[in-house]
Amino acid sequence: MTLSELAVTVAVLGALGLVARRVGLSAIPAYLLAGLLLGPNEPEQLALIEKSEVTDFVAELGIVFLLFFLGLEFSLSRATRTGRHVVLGGVVDFVSNFGLGLLVGVAAFGFSFATLVLAACVYVSSSAIAVKGLIDFRRLGDDETDLVLAILVVEDIVVAFMLGFAAAGGGEASDTLILVAKALGFITAGLAASRWLSGPIDRALDRLPLEFFLLSVFGFLIGSAAVADRLGLSSAIGALMAGIVLSETSVRAQIEDRFFSFRDIFAALFFFAFGLSIDLGAIDDVGLIVALAVALTLVGKLGGGMIAGRVGGFTSRQSLNAGVALVAHGEFTIILAQIASENALLGPNQQTDLVAFAGLYVLATATIGIVLMKESKRLGRRLLPLD
Amino acid sequence: MPVDLRETRLPGVGVKYTFKTALGGRVSVILHIDGQREIYFYRRSDDDEPTAVIDLHDDEARQLGAIIGGAYERPKIVEDLELALGELHIEWIPVPDTSPAIGLTLADARLRARTAVTVIAILREPEPVSGAQPDDFIQRGDTLVAVGKARQFSLFRRLLAEGPFTDD
Repeated sequence: MTLSELAVTVAVLGALGLVARRVGLSAIPAYLLAGLLLGPNEPEQLALIEKSEVTDFVAELGIVFLLFFLGLEFSLSRATRTGRHVVLGGVVDFVSNFGLGLLVGVAAFGFSFATLVLAACVYVSSSAIAVKGLIDFRRLGDDETDLVLAILVVEDIVVAFMLGFAAAGGGEASDTLILVAKALGFITAGLAASRWLSGPIDRALDRLPLEFFLLSVFGFLIGSAAVADRLGLSSAIGALMAGIVLSETSVRAQIEDRFFSFRDIFAALFFFAFGLSIDLGAIDDVGLIVALAVALTLVGKLGGGMIAGRVGGFTSRQSLNAGVALVAHGEFTIILAQIASENALLGPNQQTDLVAFAGLYVLATATIGIVLMKESKRLGRRLLPLD
Repeated sequence: MPVDLRETRLPGVGVKYTFKTALGGRVSVILHIDGQREIYFYRRSDDDEPTAVIDLHDDEARQLGAIIGGAYERPKIVEDLELALGELHIEWIPVPDTSPAIGLTLADARLRARTAVTVIAILREPEPVSGAQPDDFIQRGDTLVAVGKARQFSLFRRLLAEGPFTDD
């Protein structure tokens, strides 16, 4: 990737992102679409940019920043304070959607490790798109919004663990188990560090002049990602943990402030780079699977939302609103597919199919999800009794 | 607190406070992590669309909160005092332009001796007097900050407006 190619890329990202914003869609599908259009695969009319070491590296930084921010927001005390909806909503959502995801996975890959990854891709909704929708459509004041956000917290935690072994799982069962244990150990160490080391870290970071503050936080982030990578856990887990370690320090807000723009730029480039590797030529292979997954997602998320909502004491209209907010899939589906696509234990066919699947699935659900969210209250009034 | 206030964490967003109003409406206030505030108002508490939503920046929200809470324009020192007062009250009493007390010191006016109300501060441009002393003069345009029991203030106001202040 040359500078002029980067300039074109950023211009296209900006333009498509703006268009998406104007029509009320999230920017994530827009960035994917940009990659799809400019990338070397079908459609080839606009093929300008090749996947290269540079795009891979930029994409990796994007994942690192996305997970770092998730870690910063992810603290045990916050998760436990989120309240009564966490357990009920989280379990119903997991059982229904991971279950249906496994069904789709088996249809696509039979019984293999890729099936698990695909199930996770179908399970995890997009926190970014859901939260943006809740804010844009003025839903924050609604009671059922609490349920939606609680479910998203649980999903984020579950997926954090899955990221740990998506990179290298799928070999012998014992190897995969060791990997799971490593991931658990790594994250536990991070949580412990956030609890016991926040004081000393605070004092150390507080004394640094701004320039070195930035450098040391960045160094810690990249170092932690590199260590996790060496352990065979994927850099994403390392970045997540770096965020968790810093989440309880008093400089958290300052870190978020300073690194916000890094995250946005590299995340946009990450989604773009992922779009580069989506091959519409694979639509013959995965088209049906994507259609099946979208249909089952509607069933699972709306059904799960309805069950969790009704049991949790919400009206059926409120439960519908909660369910539709979870239809859109985004960042985590893409991140999981990206990490699994670098897993050498999956065959090249499975890698390509997973990437194409995730790309198309996110494009479809992100669009449908936002439209449904916008219309859900009207739909509820039309279709469901007042109770 | 007579109001039944419900606090909910919104992970990744902030905190939400919700209560029902006496007239059957519902108010939700959202404090975003980045300092933005939103106020949602539902005319009936089970409405599914908010009647109105107000977006506020941090400084605007603080200003609005001060106005609604009644703390606007009161000096901080007095606000703190008020908490410690118990059954005593603090009143802000503008000195009428025609008041015969203008030009007298607090000691000469003998306000405390005659009404049991104590002047603790004087608000005036450009600089308020925070700890009023007996030899401070009462000037045109002043507002007296005074402490006393509720029923003593009517006498205080009448005396301030009409006198008489004699050198006895």
